[in-house]
Amino acid sequence: MNYVIEAIDLTKYFGSFKAVDGINISVQEGEIFGLLGPNGAGKTTTIRMILGLLKPSAGSIKVFGIDVSRNRKAVLKITGYMPQRFSLYEDLTTEENLKLFASLYGLSGRKVDERVSELLEEFQLKEFRYRLAGKLSGGTKQRLALAVALVHEPRLLIVDEPTAGVDPPIRRYFWEYFRKLRKDGVTMLVTTHYMDEAENCDRLALMNRGRIVASGSPSSIKKLAYGGDIVELHTERKALVYLRSFDGVKKILEEESSNGSLKVKILVDDASDRLVPLVKTLEDNGIKVYRARQVFVSLEDAFIKLTVGG
Amino acid sequence: MGVLAALIIKDIRQLVRDPKTMFMVLLMPILVMAMFVAGYGGSGGGEVPIAIVDLDGGKVSWQLIDSLRNFGDFEVKYYPATPEEGEMLVRHGDVYATLIIPKGFSKDVLLGRRTTVDLVLDSSYAHISELVWEALNAAVQGFQEKVSESYGTFSIKVNRRTVYGPQVTRVENFVPVVMGILLHLVPMSLIAVSISRERERRTFEQLVVTPINSWDIVISKLLAYAFITISDMILTLWISVEFFNVKVKGSFFDLLFVSGLMLLCSLSIGLLISVMSKNQLQAYQMAIFFFIPSMLFTGFFTPVELLSKEVRIVGKLLPLYYFLRTFRNIQLRGWTLLESLHEVSVLFFETLLFLLLSIKLLKLRVE
Repeated sequence: MNYVIEAIDLTKYFGSFKAVDGINISVQEGEIFGLLGPNGAGKTTTIRMILGLLKPSAGSIKVFGIDVSRNRKAVLKITGYMPQRFSLYEDLTTEENLKLFASLYGLSGRKVDERVSELLEEFQLKEFRYRLAGKLSGGTKQRLALAVALVHEPRLLIVDEPTAGVDPPIRRYFWEYFRKLRKDGVTMLVTTHYMDEAENCDRLALMNRGRIVASGSPSSIKKLAYGGDIVELHTERKALVYLRSFDGVKKILEEESSNGSLKVKILVDDASDRLVPLVKTLEDNGIKVYRARQVFVSLEDAFIKLTVGG
Repeated sequence: MGVLAALIIKDIRQLVRDPKTMFMVLLMPILVMAMFVAGYGGSGGGEVPIAIVDLDGGKVSWQLIDSLRNFGDFEVKYYPATPEEGEMLVRHGDVYATLIIPKGFSKDVLLGRRTTVDLVLDSSYAHISELVWEALNAAVQGFQEKVSESYGTFSIKVNRRTVYGPQVTRVENFVPVVMGILLHLVPMSLIAVSISRERERRTFEQLVVTPINSWDIVISKLLAYAFITISDMILTLWISVEFFNVKVKGSFFDLLFVSGLMLLCSLSIGLLISVMSKNQLQAYQMAIFFFIPSMLFTGFFTPVELLSKEVRIVGKLLPLYYFLRTFRNIQLRGWTLLESLHEVSVLFFETLLFLLLSIKLLKLRVE
């Protein structure tokens, strides 16, 4: 399997502080890979190492099979990067910024103008083209930053906290745009500390204190956090006996009974496999089931469970 | 070339759009020039204390002393009896000059003969003794014209003699110093913050994720800042020639050439500082730190030859030393570039060295 990004045993010390602690990341072609974790988890440091902006203390990174420490320029030519905070020239206009970066990425002459007007159109920046970047609103700045990151039509886009401190409509706009990019075949590495946003990713790595706590698809991470899915049943008290012995039930998490009725949360290995047979078995034995559903677990719950609850 | 051109245009745009920078670039030559003119160039406000030794004691010598006393620029403080005493007063710093009127002065004048007076000057205060010299000449001249009506034609020649060091400089001498300050301090401190400013504004991070080389950044900054600060150089030279009638004995082109080279050298030192400093404050401090020995040890105020041996070695490492020498030689002695080949090539190689070091040390990282 060829990975777009393959980081092995990546470690970064700042003095004696271990910002990134021997992590492994592999991003597949065409996916949106999320790096999720609180501030200070080491996400930005990881990204900067991937881009060659920081030198790893140990470990190796390959992007499209190219060793970043050996041939950084080849990697940068096909990679776009949008930093966490606005990093364009505030004393240049929208258009001047775009043209500058188009030239720096090796576009020349008419191609610069063509690409720039394409991007001005695409990101609704036309009316701001002669405005200094420093005078743009927050959302417009973010759109410009994304446009600059895409100026050379990269195959890999690395985005650091694109939605931190941004209004909800723009957050939605960004995620819609990311999905569109994925459809066009662009691979993406996105960091965020918004757990709800991370649901948009195909795969995730959960980072905390420089380490990856869990990785996989959002649903597999949740499953990992609890050791299975959680199912909630509202039924009769006598159901308890059956539940304890039912195949696939791992644990009864909470139970609450009154006047013969029972509300219970149980952990099963897989909700989609087990929920229907479970209800059927109970009903076959003459037990009424008032309600049965899978409990939605947020990534946030999973994260807390994985980092704090253990 | 597209990359380099794009970067140069970007840096020039940023400089032109920063009013503080343009203010410094354009106003510095005028301000520094004005300060020097105000401090050293004018006729001076106060009266300079002098002493007069009158060995003649005749009628005409008294008339001369009287006209000097009324001339306005001097205050005749002492009338010592002997030339030795007069010289001691200068050496002790009681007066800046002593005029010695020789025996037989009145008689010579009355007979219409050539005669001389001696002037002992304190050249450790170069500008004042220059002033005294000029003023005394003028006063004696005036006296001569006035008195010749009653005594007929005669001539008085003023012989000058200095204590403390060799004969002193002309007022034009401060033009190389002004050029030195402007061509060294302004471009160096301006460019010294250029990279750390990009770091502080985080634009550096976006810049270095593009596939450019460190020499792209260094060379484009050098050329962009040279384009802007060359105005300093031209403005200063123009002010000097136009308003202060500074005469250039050598070729004006040679003067421009060596000034341009000094400009590039200062910029490359500034770039090296910029590459090495972590933030703007540090960059400013390093620039000033570099400027102080340049000011003290390269012949700004005192000729390098008069400094201690150790300091002379330091001075001769600094580019400003070579610039000042070349500039003075062209402006005051009328030398050509070829005669300054040694100095010019040292300047050139130092520039190259600083540039190569900057390129080598500039890491395209954010650590």
